Amino acid sequence: MSTENKDNIHHGELVEVEEVVEFTPAYRWQHWIRALTIVVLTFTGFYIAYPFIDPSSNPEPTNFLYANMRAVHLAFGFLMIAAVLIKTYLTLLGKADTYKAEFVSMKDLINPKIWIHQLGYYMFLSKHPPLKGVYNPLQFMAYFAMYILFYLLIITGIVLYVHVYHEGLGGALYGIGRWFEVLMGGLANVREIHHISMWALLIIIVIHIYMAVFNAVFGKNGSMDAIFSGMKWNKKH
Amino acid sequence: MKVSTKETTYDSLYATFEERIEKLKKLPKMKEDTSIEQAIEENGFSRREFMKWAGAMTAMLSLPASFTPLMAEAVKVADRLPIIWLHMAECTGCTESLLRSANPSIDSLIFDYISLEYQETIMTAVGWQAEQNLENAIKKYKGRYILMVEGGIPNGDTEYNLTVGPHGKSGKKISQDASKDAAAIFAIGTCSAFGGVQAAAPNPTNAVALSEVTDRPVINVPGCPPSEKNIVGTLMHYLLYGTLPALDVFNRPKWAYRLRIHDLCERRGRFDAGEFVENFGDEGAKDGYCLYKVGCKGPYTFNNCGKQKFNQGTSWPIQAGFGCIGCSEPNFWDTMGTVNEPLRDRLYHTTLGGLGADATADRIGIALLTVTTVGIAAHAAIAAVKPPKK
Ligand code: HEM
Ligand code: SF4
Ligand code: SF4
Repeated sequence: MSTENKDNIHHGELVEVEEVVEFTPAYRWQHWIRALTIVVLTFTGFYIAYPFIDPSSNPEPTNFLYANMRAVHLAFGFLMIAAVLIKTYLTLLGKADTYKAEFVSMKDLINPKIWIHQLGYYMFLSKHPPLKGVYNPLQFMAYFAMYILFYLLIITGIVLYVHVYHEGLGGALYGIGRWFEVLMGGLANVREIHHISMWALLIIIVIHIYMAVFNAVFGKNGSMDAIFSGMKWNKKH
Repeated sequence: MKVSTKETTYDSLYATFEERIEKLKKLPKMKEDTSIEQAIEENGFSRREFMKWAGAMTAMLSLPASFTPLMAEAVKVADRLPIIWLHMAECTGCTESLLRSANPSIDSLIFDYISLEYQETIMTAVGWQAEQNLENAIKKYKGRYILMVEGGIPNGDTEYNLTVGPHGKSGKKISQDASKDAAAIFAIGTCSAFGGVQAAAPNPTNAVALSEVTDRPVINVPGCPPSEKNIVGTLMHYLLYGTLPALDVFNRPKWAYRLRIHDLCERRGRFDAGEFVENFGDEGAKDGYCLYKVGCKGPYTFNNCGKQKFNQGTSWPIQAGFGCIGCSEPNFWDTMGTVNEPLRDRLYHTTLGGLGADATADRIGIALLTVTTVGIAAHAAIAAVKPPKK
């Protein structure tokens, strides 16, 4: 049946659609800022954990490779903090439909039928369930885990930061940073948690990208475009 | 401290110290026949050397140089403070580090000389007599003695793993009894401060820190062993102030444990430059490159080794070309990973029922990522032949 449908569309038979706003500009900006920061932070992070690049040898004391890597890591780290905080604010208090729909997704999350159908859909057994919100339950869980990881990375990152820069912001956050340090059982553990959270985030992101492509190919409603343009196509009923 | 008030605050501090020293002077000397001055002189230290030591100690406690004569005075009354030193589950390394240097330093002399009312390693009493000495000291100097404890304390249903003396008292009971009436309690060494080596996984004796078995405030002086400077400095601080020092988040005196090894390291410039020793003995090692990639744990460790050094200021591990192993941090045997390997290569031993034994976070990460990718490829392959239901 599905192949027939597909063919029909291919042959240009009309399916009535309407353009709807899926993601607001703010949503899209913070999404891509986060994507960029993750790439840069992962690269510089791996270097910080194990410096795998030799600086060009130079007899003068003008070499700052590691310090520069850390500086980039921190600059993008703070960019990520900004993006995550803005997104958290928007999700909790944002006025646009997108953010309200994020909350509505919780209704799907607690509905076991949706869970079964969603799993069935991904296992090629059943149709995609009709959703009330923007995210299906699996998606919701994945994004939720992602935010836990973001905050873990941010908190552990800040704890590491206050020990590198003791003045200014580092000084202001020192007290709370050390409180978290005790909670995590020392700086070595803080580093470990930072490192492991990165791995967990990377794995979720790989799955996330695959699922986005999968839905773009088979969903045919432009939801992949939406993260670029903001719009997607919904079938008119 | 604000610059404008510095003069006056130091003046009043000076007066307080003077007062305290006068008060201590009035207390009876523990040893009648000799004095610390005499002992220092007899061991071949000149007055000049002694004043130099006092100056260094003053600086270490972040006091201005004008306090040096006061420090020298304070040392002289150090024998007025009775000290009880307990050995729990430990290797006696902390005691040894203090007492057995080839050329006794002034620090170790002071330690030798202060009134150690009870110290199992150096006392002659044994058995019932030793037990009685301890009980008597606690009674006689009630509320006045300083308690120093070395070693972790077996706890829970394995408390009996440390049972000492003819009464068969457990280490936990002994340290609790001694803590009750102490004027100040110092946990000397990482074992007593955080549990140390016997508390490392799987911790068969359920060893814990001293602070876990008493509700009295405990000052942690960790290190494996702590430097003689940090032990004697803690004592001198108490002698001068009569109060407990400012502490960091793990109850370590701030004057010694405020900064990381990494913050005080002479190789830090190499670190920031990205210049690392790759193998012990390579060209970089000869040029004094940073030891991060050969396992230095200085970035995660709070201590003042780089400033105070060891063996009368001769050297310290990183100066000698060997990375810090993180000895003054809680649970460092477990959290710091393998000696000589960076933290990135920490192994997960007992995690996942032993599967973590030779797995690092990166290896586990790559394995999971591979599984994920294989799963994705399989799913995509199925989707290509059998698209999802519309
Ligand atoms: C996607 C987000 C992030 C990733 C993937 C990431 C990755 C890493 C990794 C792998 C390390 C090395 C840890 C190790 O030694 O094993 C590291 C270190 C560090 N990260 Fe991040 N990080 C992220 C976010 C942040 C944020 C938000 C901050 C906060 C400002 C931050 C601050 C730091 C600092 C200060 C260090 C230690 C630098 C040093 O000690 O020289 N990171 N990061
Ligand atoms: S040798 Fe250790 S403490 Fe010194 S700069 Fe390198 S990593 Fe830091
Ligand atoms: S350099 Fe590190 S391991 Fe060595 S004594 Fe100091 S804190 Fe402990």
